[in-house]
Amino acid sequence: MRLLTKASLRYLTHHRLQLLLSVLGVALGVAVVLSIDLAIQSAQTGFRISAETVSGRTTHVLVSDLGSVDERLLNTVRIDLDITASAPVVEGFATSSVLPGRALRILGIDPFSEGPFRPYVAGGSTGLDVSELMTTRTGVVLPASLAEEGGVSVGDSLPMVVEGEAWSVPLVAIIEPADELARAGLADVALMDVAGAQEVLRMVGRLSRIDLRISDDEAGSAELEAIAGALPDGVGIESVGTRSETMSGMIGAFDVNLTALSLLALIFGMFLIYNAVTFSVVQRREILGRLRALGVTRDEIVRLILTEALWIGIVGALLGTLVGIFLARGLVGMVTRTINDLYFSVSVQGIDLRPFLFAKACVLGVGATLLAALPPALEAAGANPRMAALRSVVEGRARVLVPRAALVGSILCAVGIGVLSIPTRNLVVSFTGLFFIITGLALITPAGTLVLVAAVRPLLGRVWGTLGLMAARGVGASLSRTAPAIAALVVAVSVTVGLGVMIQSFRGTLVQWLDGTLRADVYVSLPGPTASRAAGTMWPEVIEDFVGHPEVSGYSTYRGMDLVRDGEAFRLVALELDPRGEGAFDFLEGSSSDIMARFRAGEGVIASEPYVFRRGLERGDSVTLSTASGDRALRIIGVFYDYGSEQGTVMMSRSLYDRLFDDPGVTSLGLFLEEGADSERVVGDLLALVPPGRAVIARTNDTLRSASLEVFDRTFQVTAVLRLLAFVVAFVGVLSALAALQLERARELGLLRASGMTPGQLARLVVTQTGLIGLAAGVLAVPMGIALSIVMIFVVNKRSFGWTLNMEVGPEVLLQAVGLALVGAILAGVYPAWKMSRTSPALALRGE
Amino acid sequence: MNDRGPSIELIDVHKSYEEGERTHEVLTGTSVSIRAGERVAILGPSGSGKSTLLNLISGIDLPDSGTIRVGGTDLGALTERDRTLFRRDHIGFVFQFFNLLPTLTVLENLLLPLELTGSTNGRADDRARELLAAVELEARAGAFPDRLSGGEQQRIAIARALVHEPDLLLADEPTGNLDQDTGTRVVEALEALVAAQGTTMIVVTHSRELAGRMDRILELDHGRLREG
Amino acid sequence: MTASVPSRLRLTRPRRPGLVATVATVGLLAVAGCAGPAPQSTDGTETLSLVATLGGLDTAGYERALEVRDFVFPEDHGPHPGFRTEWWYVTGNLTSREGRTFGFQFTIFRSALAPADPGGPSAWSTNQAYMGHFALTDITGEDFRSEERFARGGAGLAGAQAEPLRVWIEDWELSAADPAATGTVRASPFPMTLRADGKGVDLELVLQSGKPRVLQGDRGLSQKGAEPGNASYYYAHTRMPAEGRVTLDGQTYRVSGLAWLDREWSTSALSEGQVGWDWFALQLDDGWEMMVYQLRLEDGSADPLSDGVLIDPAGRRISLSWGDQVTVTPTGRWRSPVDGAEYPSGWRVTVPDRGWDLSVEPAVLDQELRVAFRYWEGAVRVEGVGERGRPIRGRGYVELTGYAGAGIE
Repeated sequence: MRLLTKASLRYLTHHRLQLLLSVLGVALGVAVVLSIDLAIQSAQTGFRISAETVSGRTTHVLVSDLGSVDERLLNTVRIDLDITASAPVVEGFATSSVLPGRALRILGIDPFSEGPFRPYVAGGSTGLDVSELMTTRTGVVLPASLAEEGGVSVGDSLPMVVEGEAWSVPLVAIIEPADELARAGLADVALMDVAGAQEVLRMVGRLSRIDLRISDDEAGSAELEAIAGALPDGVGIESVGTRSETMSGMIGAFDVNLTALSLLALIFGMFLIYNAVTFSVVQRREILGRLRALGVTRDEIVRLILTEALWIGIVGALLGTLVGIFLARGLVGMVTRTINDLYFSVSVQGIDLRPFLFAKACVLGVGATLLAALPPALEAAGANPRMAALRSVVEGRARVLVPRAALVGSILCAVGIGVLSIPTRNLVVSFTGLFFIITGLALITPAGTLVLVAAVRPLLGRVWGTLGLMAARGVGASLSRTAPAIAALVVAVSVTVGLGVMIQSFRGTLVQWLDGTLRADVYVSLPGPTASRAAGTMWPEVIEDFVGHPEVSGYSTYRGMDLVRDGEAFRLVALELDPRGEGAFDFLEGSSSDIMARFRAGEGVIASEPYVFRRGLERGDSVTLSTASGDRALRIIGVFYDYGSEQGTVMMSRSLYDRLFDDPGVTSLGLFLEEGADSERVVGDLLALVPPGRAVIARTNDTLRSASLEVFDRTFQVTAVLRLLAFVVAFVGVLSALAALQLERARELGLLRASGMTPGQLARLVVTQTGLIGLAAGVLAVPMGIALSIVMIFVVNKRSFGWTLNMEVGPEVLLQAVGLALVGAILAGVYPAWKMSRTSPALALRGE
Repeated sequence: MNDRGPSIELIDVHKSYEEGERTHEVLTGTSVSIRAGERVAILGPSGSGKSTLLNLISGIDLPDSGTIRVGGTDLGALTERDRTLFRRDHIGFVFQFFNLLPTLTVLENLLLPLELTGSTNGRADDRARELLAAVELEARAGAFPDRLSGGEQQRIAIARALVHEPDLLLADEPTGNLDQDTGTRVVEALEALVAAQGTTMIVVTHSRELAGRMDRILELDHGRLREG
Repeated sequence: MTASVPSRLRLTRPRRPGLVATVATVGLLAVAGCAGPAPQSTDGTETLSLVATLGGLDTAGYERALEVRDFVFPEDHGPHPGFRTEWWYVTGNLTSREGRTFGFQFTIFRSALAPADPGGPSAWSTNQAYMGHFALTDITGEDFRSEERFARGGAGLAGAQAEPLRVWIEDWELSAADPAATGTVRASPFPMTLRADGKGVDLELVLQSGKPRVLQGDRGLSQKGAEPGNASYYYAHTRMPAEGRVTLDGQTYRVSGLAWLDREWSTSALSEGQVGWDWFALQLDDGWEMMVYQLRLEDGSADPLSDGVLIDPAGRRISLSWGDQVTVTPTGRWRSPVDGAEYPSGWRVTVPDRGWDLSVEPAVLDQELRVAFRYWEGAVRVEGVGERGRPIRGRGYVELTGYAGAGIE
């Protein structure tokens, strides 16, 4: 081993704590990035595999905006158009009491049509006896994993609730998919015959879609043309790619948000590494100077420092990979649940450990380490071999750098603001701007610290005398070492503040919106797979019974459909409103009563803010819908605030809907009660009216409100976790930097001890100093955090979701931030203080 | 370097430092010439620029104006990297504070200059042990510097400065931090080694006694060198 | 003659039940093997042992052919869903105005997947499955194309009805040509329309009855084995004048010729030891038809139950006992290009008592249906000495099963 390498290795092993913290910094950064990547990837893989497995080798599908097509369309396609590779599909969701917490995907198929499509149905490899499936009414086939989980075997009855109706369906077969992929794709699938699926999903006469396999050649194009010509109004042909892109596009904004947050953690990790490496350089200034005097070149010094960083990076990245996998296991559940809550049902089978993601995380980790180590390495090399030893020179230079850094920081902030003002919906642009601002703020931090410490110095002097003054001066004097630590802490705390304020504002806005929107006393819907959206069709007789309850004085009906048009998903809603429900809408502009009058008259539709925002529309523009009689353009007569769907919602009056669509169904019901009625009791009465074997969810206004907020809180769980992780990374950074700073001052502190300072006084000096840094960071973080939250609320959120939020800054978020910073910094002082106070001053004086 | 060893030439060298608002003139047109194999002491009060002079001769620093030639090589014409390599190959350093690398053992400290100049074979080890023996510290080869006394450390520093057989040895207050007896032993060690190798030596010192043991004494006064 | 009845019926039994049984149990698996629009390739791994397949079938809950019954028309033209298996089996030879000759096979098999209909509100709900085989031999062009289809008997995709007659799988169809007319001529579905397409072939024919229908076996009860119920109900039209058109790769030919219809429904299955059969349906120019089959046993010998029958120009049946009254001797061999499976190709068929000595040659060598259940079924030319020692020519169809992959291990 080369002596230089040996020297640096011995240095690192002598400073184990510092080494450990550096490695930890890289590891945490890598772990967070990797775990988020893995979680997102796993959710997407789960979705993709399930989509691919369910669609098999389908190339195109015939679908209707309204979610189903007439089953006779299959005969038209198969027999009249002679398209042999065409298969009927009836899809829906169910729950089962033996499979708690799972949404079962009912896949209704015709085994005879499956040859070209789904090998697991027709392939024989799964050992599926399809004649049993066909000839057993509502018979169901489960993959082995589900059957095992539910403890059911062939011949048993599987309890199932579908669209609010209780079924006991015979389990006719269990399939063991031949390959891992099919196993994953089928993990939540309950296979049924098309007849049985139609029956339990109450879709008799309808198909969810018709799968086609069209060759990618001239004959195929001719077939597509022939099909297009034969399709009834309201039915379209879509390629499978487009469809699943639309679906995965829905969670795009969600993914970008999480990825951005995970990168933030990595940046904190970089601060940590920068800290650590800077420290190791600062501590070795004299040694490095001696080496330079001995004739070690600058290149060799840079290489030496970077090699150290490289090893730290590699070890940290490897460790981070392990931690990342561990973290991902927790995160994937949260991510999946959020997707299930907000977007669509997806089942995730374990973590998709994609080598690319590991490579990416490791490269990011090692790259970030090298990048962070480069400035201190260059500085070390640039040092004059003799002058390097003189700390005051370094500190003096650092102090010159402070205003310069602040200037550069201001410029970066300005660039960030500039980037943010680019009119685009691209989230990457938004986050780039945000990162510019964060980096800029970090650079301004040292100057801010100096100003702050100067401000509190007189106060400290009065309270603690010389010791206080020393502590304050120490902060400023050691800025070359403390600046990165303070910057990291400030950024971490300000991001915590920013996210906190954003979430608080979001929640506040949602509460306000729910209060305004939830006008009815009781809400009735069917149990469904997605928590935030009602689905399915209620039984008319149940509606009749409910509306007829003596204490019900009025009602609104709601029909919601998830549609896809031009590759973008949105929700179409038909409303029949009780007059008391009309005030529920808060419009961006225009008189509410005028708009609602026109709405009632069917003069047009109202659209949610995200809907118009995403499509660049405004009031007065029109929305085109595929109706039963072809495409119809409808004018947007009003745009309302809505936080229920990020994809956007278009609403029309029930009378208009009935004219345009052949669909008498009702998805959910809002009931208005007589004055003074007890809604809890009425809910009990209503549930008693539901015939056995059927289930509805009836909730009072309050229950629905808190259920909605629960979903909201779940949604932000991941964000909260990331926020915490980012903070931990920064915290570790501060801890390591401040602790190392104090340890490095051993000689100086030893001198103080020798001059008669008691261990207690010394501890107070050290803790006061680190505490000052913490306080400065906390105080600086507040305005920065608020600035960040403004950006997140008014730029990032608006861009990703099209939501206007009312900003709310609660004192608890701010106090929490300052408190955290303070506590972190004080803790960072405790260990060195303890260590110093236990060391003999003579030893400390002796130094290296 | 020519055959006759280093002849050091300083011609009208100026050097000043910024100290806040003030400019501190350290060298104001110094010229001097030192022959190969000569042992020279530079005397002067604190802050007179003695160390600066050493930095300039070793190529660590560059003069504001004037020319410095070491063994015929104009240091001002070299890049920073070439000056470092020049230093590595031809110059040995002994400083007032001991300048050993704390994370290397005594033997490794001696081996480092050899490794840097590319001679890392078995002979390097022999050479290092030979010098350790010369300073009578071969028993401490495996110890770390912080286990050694100040005098021992300085003897090691001398051994290290000469281990790669430099043409020129620069010593900055080599005894400044030592008591009389120890200082004497260190100087004796230094003289013995330099004499054995025929090395040119420049010693910066406060000590008249130490200066008196050299061939020639130069005094630095108000930025200029004159024979003392 | 009576002694030979059971064996004769038994012969026709196995030839189709094998296929139908495939629908019932393995066919659905085979659907995948044929990969939808391209059912041409089938490898042996996806087929099962014929006997194992049929032996595993449970007859409980199905109707059985227990005794002689009165056939009732038009009802009996239609489906008998209480029986496990049933088919409408049409083969024939055609000649275009230009003299281009064709052979065709059109079969719709019905198979009950369970004794009872599952019920339920969906139009898809059914226990009936259908399989169709369609093959055209372009004798002049020495080309052979075949296609198979599967569909459930629900949602209008496939089905069968008696009045007016319509048996269909997707757009393949055998039906009363004039539904209104059948209402008046109650007992007969004739004239019938036959329509099928696939692989660049389009066939549309009108079939006349030609001769009266023949009730096979004992007044239509075809006893299969000693046990009661091991039998089928079976009738045939052995000489149906056919007229229509064949479109081949866009070229349309007006054609006429003779077709043969077998109608059979049953529940019972093949017995142990039988591995396949060679079946001959020959239509001679002098108005006679001949049907002969040889049932092959595992040891390669002919089952003594193999049999034959002659139909005279007036439609009368004359039974022939196997081995002495009728002999079949292969005269050549042909290997399947798929796996080299060897089929007999060319035969000498004699009826010594009547002096018949016929040479039967494939019109095209390769008429193997490479569908889920691989077999050879093709048009043949007949030449030789017939009734009263007169030289005679004719055309016909031969079916050879149990030679390749399917049906034999």
